[in-house]
Amino acid sequence: MDIAGQDTQAPLIYLNNAATTWPKPPEVLDEVAACLRTPVHEPGRTTGNGSADYPSAAREALAAFFHAGKPEHFIFTQNATDALNLLIHGFVRRTGVPFHAITTELEHNSVLRPLTTLEQDSAISLSVVPFAGNRVSLAAIKQVIRPDTRLVVMTHGSNVLGSVQEIKPIAEYLRTNDIFFIVDGAQTAGHIPISLSDIPIGAFVFTGHKALFGIPGTGGFYIPEPDAIAITRQGGTGTDSQTLTQPSDMPMRFETGTPNYPGIASLFAGLGFINTVGLEEIERKERDLTGYFVRELQHMPGIMLYTTAPDLPVVSFNINSIDNHEAGFILARAYNIITRTGLHCAPLVHERIDGSKGCIRVSFSWFNSLDECAAAADAIREVSQNADS
Amino acid sequence: MSVLLLQTQSVRYRRMRILKSVQTKVCVDGSLMKEYVLDEPLTEGFLIFLELFGTVRFLKHLKKPYFSFEKDLFISVKGFVGDSNVEVRYKKEFQDLVGDYFYLLLYYYDQGERGISQLKGQEDSIRQRMKIRL
Repeated sequence: MDIAGQDTQAPLIYLNNAATTWPKPPEVLDEVAACLRTPVHEPGRTTGNGSADYPSAAREALAAFFHAGKPEHFIFTQNATDALNLLIHGFVRRTGVPFHAITTELEHNSVLRPLTTLEQDSAISLSVVPFAGNRVSLAAIKQVIRPDTRLVVMTHGSNVLGSVQEIKPIAEYLRTNDIFFIVDGAQTAGHIPISLSDIPIGAFVFTGHKALFGIPGTGGFYIPEPDAIAITRQGGTGTDSQTLTQPSDMPMRFETGTPNYPGIASLFAGLGFINTVGLEEIERKERDLTGYFVRELQHMPGIMLYTTAPDLPVVSFNINSIDNHEAGFILARAYNIITRTGLHCAPLVHERIDGSKGCIRVSFSWFNSLDECAAAADAIREVSQNADS
Repeated sequence: MSVLLLQTQSVRYRRMRILKSVQTKVCVDGSLMKEYVLDEPLTEGFLIFLELFGTVRFLKHLKKPYFSFEKDLFISVKGFVGDSNVEVRYKKEFQDLVGDYFYLLLYYYDQGERGISQLKGQEDSIRQRMKIRL
């Protein structure tokens, strides 16, 4: 099926990888098909045996990939938003009394909305730390810490500005001060090396469908000390079934009901693909693509570029003489170039950079080429030059 | 483009019809976006007609000649001359009142001066209902 209204003569150039990567590696598609071809033989729940135990294999793969010590402390969820909701609401419930929480202007609505909802319910009071130079510093966080601060939720990589935050010194400071630190790694996992054993985080959230090359519907978090989060979901686990309360063992403490086997299989294969290619090689190629694209746009008249040196393969900009939605529409329908326009679910970033008008975001993956970057830059130049015609 | 051009050119207008709606979603600003496939490609003549009812922006030197139509409180339209697909956004505040407005534009397009005045009359009626609500 063709995507309605698109110019099917031109090859599709997909530059919306910060939302969901496409295409997926063939290995991922094969693993999903293999998973669906065989019956589910989940240990403890069925009498069958002999098929792949994808959840356990994926947990092992995640622990190796993120240099984390405890595979069973990786929890699968629907996506990063689901993981963040589970963690934030679970932490508030565990704490039991109102407290002060901190987040940043760089956040996605997956963080801002749960925290704002809790603030409106008087469960927390909330401080939002501004960014400077596209980053949030430890010094800025220290300025808003209060005696009753118990929680900091912060993105690792901005989905608009492509800046990576220095989370290690922040994590160390917060640990010293007994403040729980949730890191949203949706934009960094799979793009840059992350060693969770070196960073004293409270919890690290990842999503499967972006740079880890899983299919949509996959994500999760790593939590070294799960007692900090109350159990907010209960149901079948296939273990300790005579007990009417949720098991507190990991991972059943947070995982209940039938898992997303095809999704978890895709995540397992996605991690395998990254390991085969090499994360350093992926990082190098994405840096080259991003650098090339930024250099092209930097010298283009009529372009407002919001970052000239992103750490991640994310480039946000506006074409001065045309609304970002219109520009995205033209790129998609006339050139078959898929970008993302609007607020990118990060309203506070846009308040700062473009007065909440939104912008065009281009984001690359391993599967993009320099030719595609050049074609996209040419198209943007053409739109910019002719926008006043 | 001008009103004069529309009034003087001896173009035989033909009514366009919506064949199907291929996509519907709620946009960031709360407006409702619908993408329609028309039974024939959009023409510059249609843009001249649209200009009578709102603001038309026409970027004819792009790879495909792009246009947008903006009518405050009613709808906005995006598309390309020569394409049969068109994206229509119904403004959030009065979606129930303006839900048929794009159909009306297509309906009255082929009816010359009479169509123009009838559509203006329909528009006034919609605006009256908007005022009551405000």
